[in-house]
Amino acid sequence: MKVVPSRSSEWVRPVTPQKPASAIIEIDRVSQVFQTSARKDHVALSDISLTIEEGAFVSILGPSGCGKSTLLYIVGGFVSPTSGAAKIKGQAITGPGPDRGPVFQEFALFPWKTVLGNVMYGPRQKGVRATEAEAQSRALIEMVGLKGYENFYPKELSGGMKQRVALARTLAYHPEVLLMDEPFGALDAHTRTRLQNDLLNIWERDRKTVLFVTHSVDEAVFLSDKVVMMSKSPGRIRDVIDIDLPRPRRRNELLLDPRYQKYVVNIERMFDESDEAGSPS
Amino acid sequence: MISLAALARRAAPVLACIGLLAMWQVASIVLKNDSFPTAIEAIRAIPDILGDRESLLNILASLRRMAIGFGVAVLVSIPLGLLMGRSRSVAAFFNPLLMVIYPVPKAALMPIIMLWLGVGDITKTLVIFLGVSLPVIYHSFEGAKAVEEKMLWSGAAMGLSTAQRLVRIVLPAALPEILTGCRTGLVLALITMITSEMIARQSGAGNILFNALDMGQYDTVFAMIIIVGAMGICLDAIFERIRARLVRWSEPQFDMPLSFS
Ligand SMILES: Nc1ncnc2c1ncn2[C@@H]1O[C@H](COP(=O)(O)OP(=O)(O)OP(=O)(O)O)[C@@H](O)[C@H]1O
Ligand SMILES: [Mg+2]
Repeated sequence: MKVVPSRSSEWVRPVTPQKPASAIIEIDRVSQVFQTSARKDHVALSDISLTIEEGAFVSILGPSGCGKSTLLYIVGGFVSPTSGAAKIKGQAITGPGPDRGPVFQEFALFPWKTVLGNVMYGPRQKGVRATEAEAQSRALIEMVGLKGYENFYPKELSGGMKQRVALARTLAYHPEVLLMDEPFGALDAHTRTRLQNDLLNIWERDRKTVLFVTHSVDEAVFLSDKVVMMSKSPGRIRDVIDIDLPRPRRRNELLLDPRYQKYVVNIERMFDESDEAGSPS
Repeated sequence: MISLAALARRAAPVLACIGLLAMWQVASIVLKNDSFPTAIEAIRAIPDILGDRESLLNILASLRRMAIGFGVAVLVSIPLGLLMGRSRSVAAFFNPLLMVIYPVPKAALMPIIMLWLGVGDITKTLVIFLGVSLPVIYHSFEGAKAVEEKMLWSGAAMGLSTAQRLVRIVLPAALPEILTGCRTGLVLALITMITSEMIARQSGAGNILFNALDMGQYDTVFAMIIIVGAMGICLDAIFERIRARLVRWSEPQFDMPLSFS
């Protein structure tokens, strides 16, 4: 039995759940085959099964091309799998819906809308009254650190700022599950670290379920309750690692924590192996 | 204080016009040709045309046909182009049809259309409509095709239906490209307006121009050319103002530096 630091009574939750955590997303033997232009079938995902518990922060980690994005798109309902099925709360996923909020690596902001317009879009679509949607959106914009930029257009923002807007825009319509595809992949190291901290703060506040795609081992260990390690050609789940580290997590403390370092080293080694395994057949 | 660059930007079109007129003046004095009046002679003839009630009505009739042809074309072409851009089957159906129509000069269809619909307003308006439609369809099509898929997915995740996504995401996202098509369409509207009136003379600015040409009134001919040109410049300037307002969010922020002095 480990010693529980008194400053956090929450951190044990993923390890020894008080109430049985219920599955929110179930991926059941999902395969995805693409017809490539060479008329050859390309197996992007092969027989993926995964259960994600409500309120968990789950990262999908794997080499480039192993099908991480494809898996996320299937859960989002943007792509339907060649075989198998994905479910949310027991219901088969047949298309996109406001219960699952994507944050894409490409930001995909609406360039004709201001920061405020982008963030308000979801709530307005849901039927929230304009004044109320605006108040909520302004609060969110402040939370992601963009106060004062409400009337800027996306082209007037830096990459890191756009990513913040994209996050706020998705949080604004309160999806039950956040689907984030390498959201910090295009950012410089410093901005990346800041956004990781911010995301963690936000998440620790309201504990949404997060499915987070990344190819950074540090990022995955730092953020997650669970890391799903994939290998490629064909894309498979190689391992699922529970990250048993206290929350709330502080970066400066964690980097010095031998447990954290051990996770990083072990997962990095696995990553190397799965990358070598994945030379195209 | 107005910067030098801003001043240059404002003065540029005026300078261009003055330069053109000056070159014309010199050329006509050098050439000394009866059918090539000087710029000053042509400009002097303008008040006569604009002061004449009959001529003014003719010009207004032209503008009316042009407005209707342009307006209807834009209203039909944008939705069609957007649908084509987002649906492969719609594109597969309309693309060959449009490819057949595109290279045909629309005025060349006039004689046939005149046989069916007579020489009146409908024929001329229809020709303007045809002239404007194709560039607007084409640019709407390209604009809609280029809309980032993830943007549509984001909309879908917020609960927008397919139709809503077409109107509320594809349309605004493609708007800069659509308006480029509309601007080309506006110029083509003016061209087809004049050519249609050359073929079916009955009323209009083209009617005044080509009648004057037949009667050897070259001052009037060139005065009309200036008037039509001025109409083009004004319409384009008005359109450009509207366009710049609508797509301010997409304008590039920096001029390309011509020199780093
Ligand atoms: N629409 C498509 N058509 C054909 N092949 C595709 C398509 N989308 C993805 N693929 C293939 O499926 C495989 C997985 O792609 P995916 O984008 O899911 O990888 P990824 O793990 O997200 O990679 P990265 O880390 O580089 O983003 C790749 O080999 C890719 O070539
Ligand atoms: Mg990817």
